[in-house]
Amino acid sequence: MFRQSSQGLLVALLAPALLGLFVFRLYPIAIAVVSSFYTTVHGSTVFTGLGNYESLISDHVFWRSLRVTLWFNLLVNPIQIAISLGLALLYIRKFPGASVYRIFFLIPIGVSVPVAAIVWRIMLSQGGLVNGLLDLVGVPPQPWLTSSSLALYSIIAIATWKGASYWMIFIVGGLQNISPELYDAARVDGVRPWQRLLFITLPLLRPALLFVLAADVSINFLLFAPIYMLTQGGPAGSTDVLMYEAYKQGFIFGDMGRAMAMVVVIVAILLIVVGLQFRLLSAREQGA
Amino acid sequence: MRHWTSALVVAVTGLIAATGASAQQHVLKMLVLSEDAPKVQKVAEAYQAKHPDVAIKMQSAPWDQYFQTAELRLNSKDKSVDLVYVDVPLIAGYASRGFLAPVDPNLDTSALVASSLNAGKYNGKLYALPINNSAQVLFYNKKLFADAGVTPPDGLTPGGTATQAQANEIASSKRWTWEQVAEAAQKLTQKKGGKTAVWGFSFDQINELYQLQPLGESLGTDVISPDGKTAQGYLDSPAWVKGATFWSDLYNKWGVSPKGLSHDEPPQLFANGQLALFAGGTWNLALFQKNGVDFGVAAFPYFQGGKALTPTGSWFIGVAANSVNKDIAADFAKFLTLSDEGTKMWFDANKQLPAYKPLLEQISRSPEFDAFPQDVFRIGVYDALNTAKPRPTTVAYGQLQDAFRTAFADMSNGVPVTDALATAVETYDAAMKRVAQ
Repeated sequence: MFRQSSQGLLVALLAPALLGLFVFRLYPIAIAVVSSFYTTVHGSTVFTGLGNYESLISDHVFWRSLRVTLWFNLLVNPIQIAISLGLALLYIRKFPGASVYRIFFLIPIGVSVPVAAIVWRIMLSQGGLVNGLLDLVGVPPQPWLTSSSLALYSIIAIATWKGASYWMIFIVGGLQNISPELYDAARVDGVRPWQRLLFITLPLLRPALLFVLAADVSINFLLFAPIYMLTQGGPAGSTDVLMYEAYKQGFIFGDMGRAMAMVVVIVAILLIVVGLQFRLLSAREQGA
Repeated sequence: MRHWTSALVVAVTGLIAATGASAQQHVLKMLVLSEDAPKVQKVAEAYQAKHPDVAIKMQSAPWDQYFQTAELRLNSKDKSVDLVYVDVPLIAGYASRGFLAPVDPNLDTSALVASSLNAGKYNGKLYALPINNSAQVLFYNKKLFADAGVTPPDGLTPGGTATQAQANEIASSKRWTWEQVAEAAQKLTQKKGGKTAVWGFSFDQINELYQLQPLGESLGTDVISPDGKTAQGYLDSPAWVKGATFWSDLYNKWGVSPKGLSHDEPPQLFANGQLALFAGGTWNLALFQKNGVDFGVAAFPYFQGGKALTPTGSWFIGVAANSVNKDIAADFAKFLTLSDEGTKMWFDANKQLPAYKPLLEQISRSPEFDAFPQDVFRIGVYDALNTAKPRPTTVAYGQLQDAFRTAFADMSNGVPVTDALATAVETYDAAMKRVAQ
């Protein structure tokens, strides 16, 4: 009796979340998968099976875009998480001026992505602030967003500026969950600071890091706004990530089937990457 | 009894007619570019004054989003769209996908400029009517030329007047070459402490096919093949390599054009007095006058040894295929494009070269167009009759425009000309194969 009513309560309490999951997550993914099997010919929708995927495989623009996406994520995620971790370790320490430092690093969280993109566009322009500062130390102006060798790294820098302090908050939460007694005990045992970080902080931070890693990777795989606003995938396709290419195919060229096929590819890659992350990080926990 | 019945019948019929009339308020909805919505609204109000049973409502989107919005709404077979503001090169794509209803073949369109009218056709059928045409000219800042001691091109200036014959002379024999533009621009560019204070030259619509089509075509080769199937042998031809090299040199060799500008920055630079030469549309006249720049207007340049060609074509109005009010919608389109009243109202509000012949005649002959800046439209009249070259017709125009834009943006950022053009050709040909399957 008690068990039954508690089960009923469980279902009732989970229902809104499950409903949300279906309506806002699974249903759109199902639509994307179904639409990726269709194409538009002279205004009418025609079933084409794997036609969209076949045309992607033979399209070198798609492969270039996939390469850019993977390279971008290979760089941006470790950089963002390393910086967030560093910022978080500083954040929880007490030192003179700590509150100023904290406010300083919380500012990017309050700035929306489009605003950040506009501000950085002005700062990175030919006669902008960044080149002005370089000029002071005798470095010639750099084409930050207009050269194919620099643009992707500028986007990584902007995304990191925006993202690092956001992820820092989660890591700070994780750090505060670690019992101070452990550090005290370590200190008594004469453990060096870098050993404390390696053997106490990082292992105990694993749940928080796992979440940050998975969420950060998902967000960066789907990054779109700064590329749309700053480079439109250029120069020479150097910032043409899959999300932007999919947007272009669907909304500019009206080829929704092809766009959806790209989205399905992105989702598949994301599932694999996030699945691997969970496996690796949780497996170690079981062994511990 | 019989009288009574017939009286009742009359009364009831009368009632039905009355309610019918009040319910016959037709609401037309028009998809339109935000910046032009108030101007269309003005013409719509004049139309509504004559047709009290019709109300025309604007549904607008800004330039950056307009094409996608229109694409999505039309693609979803949205019944609430009656009229569409459509850029000329998209007509073929829209018509091929069944977005537009064909124009009544019995409509008398002889008052429209033939080249504009033909641009509204797809597979021989007319799908949209030209609202106006467009003309490109070369604006020059008189003060910056005087400061640098450079002789400006022959053109029309404030305080002056020009007859059509005088405007013809400026456009036919005083037209600058791009070589002259490059030479002057290098002398006009001023650097101060490592930064450029005055830029020598810029185009208006950076990287856009509309704006840059004459670069290669005035040297003799079109952007794509006449059947639209391929860009190979066209966009990567020697003529285009030469035209595109000029473009690349503006940014990378001579450094006379600013890199990485957004859609509306170039006219703003000229309006601020930071740009000496500006190849752009007549629609910028109002902005430059408002800002008080001391400027003159010459004809759009061409390559030495090439043929003078100028960008043309502009916005059309079409009736949506899924509209339930097609006849009324077509009647408003007719008022906007084929009536003396509608076209004049539109010209006064929009300041673009008309596609309506009686109004073009008026620009050529009427003394009201003698004085600057109205006389600038007389250069436009000459170009419309002699040098205007429409954009290519292809069902994959969106893809062509994007491939072209990417190539020219890349070249301005230093990507080698032949590489950028080869990529554009490959991208377009692949897209065309998919679209035309």
